[in-house]
Amino acid sequence: MIKDFEHFAPKTLKEALTLLDKYQDEAKVICGGQSLLILMRQGLVAPEYVIDIKSISELSYIKTDGKGGLKIGALTTHRTIEKSSQMRDGFAVLAEMETRLASIQTRNWGTIGGNLCHGDPAGDPAPVLIALNATLKMASLKGERSLPAEDFTLDYFETALKTGELLTEIIVPAPPAHTGTAYTKFNIIESDLATVGVAASITLGAGDSCQDIRIALGAAAATPMRAKKAEAVLKGKKITDALLAQAGETASTEADPISDMQASEEYRRELVKVLVPRISKEAIARAKKA
Amino acid sequence: MLIEGKFTMKAPIKEVWNFLLEPGTLASCIPGAEKMEAVDDKTWEGVVKQKVGPISVKLNFTQSLTEVDPPKHIKAVGRGAAVGGAGTFTQETIVDLKEIAKGEVEVAYSSKVSMVGRLATFGERIMRAKVNKVGEEFTNNLREKMKSRVGG
Amino acid sequence: MKKELKLKVNGQPYDIFVKPKTLLVEALRDHLALTGTKRGCNSSSCGACTIMLNGMAVKSCSILALQANGAEIVTIEGLAKGTELSPLQKAFLDHGSYQCGFCTAGMLMATTALLTENPKPTKQEIKEGIDGNICRCTGYNSIIRAVTAVVKGEYKEAK
Repeated sequence: MIKDFEHFAPKTLKEALTLLDKYQDEAKVICGGQSLLILMRQGLVAPEYVIDIKSISELSYIKTDGKGGLKIGALTTHRTIEKSSQMRDGFAVLAEMETRLASIQTRNWGTIGGNLCHGDPAGDPAPVLIALNATLKMASLKGERSLPAEDFTLDYFETALKTGELLTEIIVPAPPAHTGTAYTKFNIIESDLATVGVAASITLGAGDSCQDIRIALGAAAATPMRAKKAEAVLKGKKITDALLAQAGETASTEADPISDMQASEEYRRELVKVLVPRISKEAIARAKKA
Repeated sequence: MLIEGKFTMKAPIKEVWNFLLEPGTLASCIPGAEKMEAVDDKTWEGVVKQKVGPISVKLNFTQSLTEVDPPKHIKAVGRGAAVGGAGTFTQETIVDLKEIAKGEVEVAYSSKVSMVGRLATFGERIMRAKVNKVGEEFTNNLREKMKSRVGG
Repeated sequence: MKKELKLKVNGQPYDIFVKPKTLLVEALRDHLALTGTKRGCNSSSCGACTIMLNGMAVKSCSILALQANGAEIVTIEGLAKGTELSPLQKAFLDHGSYQCGFCTAGMLMATTALLTENPKPTKQEIKEGIDGNICRCTGYNSIIRAVTAVVKGEYKEAK
């Protein structure tokens, strides 16, 4: 049973920030509510004030940044991203990630910003945005600030958003030349959250060596995490199957998964070990075509 | 869920034992524990508050000593419920003391916690993630409390 | 403290007052007496509560009613034109795409939304279209056959 609450539906960002500033920690922000309402229905989250930002249309957009990159408003629905013609070439991985996110009904109403702010380490967007080196913009009445995507989630369901702040925009830079990015997740039922998710972005250098690499894991730690030790195995080297396997091994020990109803810690580590080389290979194939 | 921990204490085993036996010692080391009240010399009641992300829980619980084997072994059994009916839990904690050298004691504990209800189903992933943290905090709390009472 | 909710459901405008905590499925079923939409799981998993909001399939149990302010909603009650069933409804009947019927309203809404967006989906796209709807009885194949038949043009839209 949901407890009674007072509901505000600001129409502009300024209105929303003013309300947030007024109610501070007593208010909870709801947008699509596809994650939050599940908890509220069970009485696990019961705020007195709810600031409903779903109709702040000024925060729903997909724009180019003029330099080959994308600026995505936090209130853009998953379905909009999934179907956007701008999600091609280096950004196709975002649309691919969205097609595997929950179900069409959820994607029609849920937003990418809401997903990130929920702070679920098993979420799909975070690992992909980390691999793409995205930046997240936040606003409050005091001004704006930005954080790299990989610094946004601090702990299970806790983000770097301070009281009074709203996530406003996701900035995805133009991928460097010869870069390929890929994402996959293992789940038991399609539309489930990731048991383990892996995103990899690889930039090829001279002689098809690995000039730069970013590997991000979902559902393998308290937050979406960059597998930096695994990256170090590959960075600057000529990529071989043996090296990829080693990166997978390193990533699986670097990860810090828990055991739960979906899978054991051991099984999650095994998934990391297998999926990191697999997705890295896919990223390389895409980099060669880019 | 299993919460386990181990640490050493530089103190005579008898003193560590006596301290552990004091009503409410174990309970007061539980992270987020507020309001401890002794019901009798083996039982106490309390309230635990914890927060993970957007979920805050307040748990009312009762714990009793069921096995007391001086100066080595304690078993405490507890049960509780989340305020608001979001879930109930049962818990079994075993603490073993071992004298590893003169004046040096190894304290080992193992706590089995079982939770049912909405908190367990919907909060399962969130709760489980918290377990490791809780375990670490409990160990630190117990060690610090012991240090200040019985030595280093 | 109730708030005003103005919405159009199956072409009919409504103006009601609801508590903010009211879910859209509750507004439809309890306030507007449109009980065709079902509440199956209370965990956003089953899709029996699927309706169309501004042309999009959404789970009405996972939306605050107040978020539908100003929206155009189509529920299962709005698929037929008078007594003439929609092509999908006829196809479901012919293909036995239901047994207990509990998922059916949601299935019909999800597949209606699918064909509205994409009139010629592939079999894989049909499966993806009902990915958010759980059926415990049919095994889904009869549902997929019904949708395929509509896609092939075996059923005409009512005038």
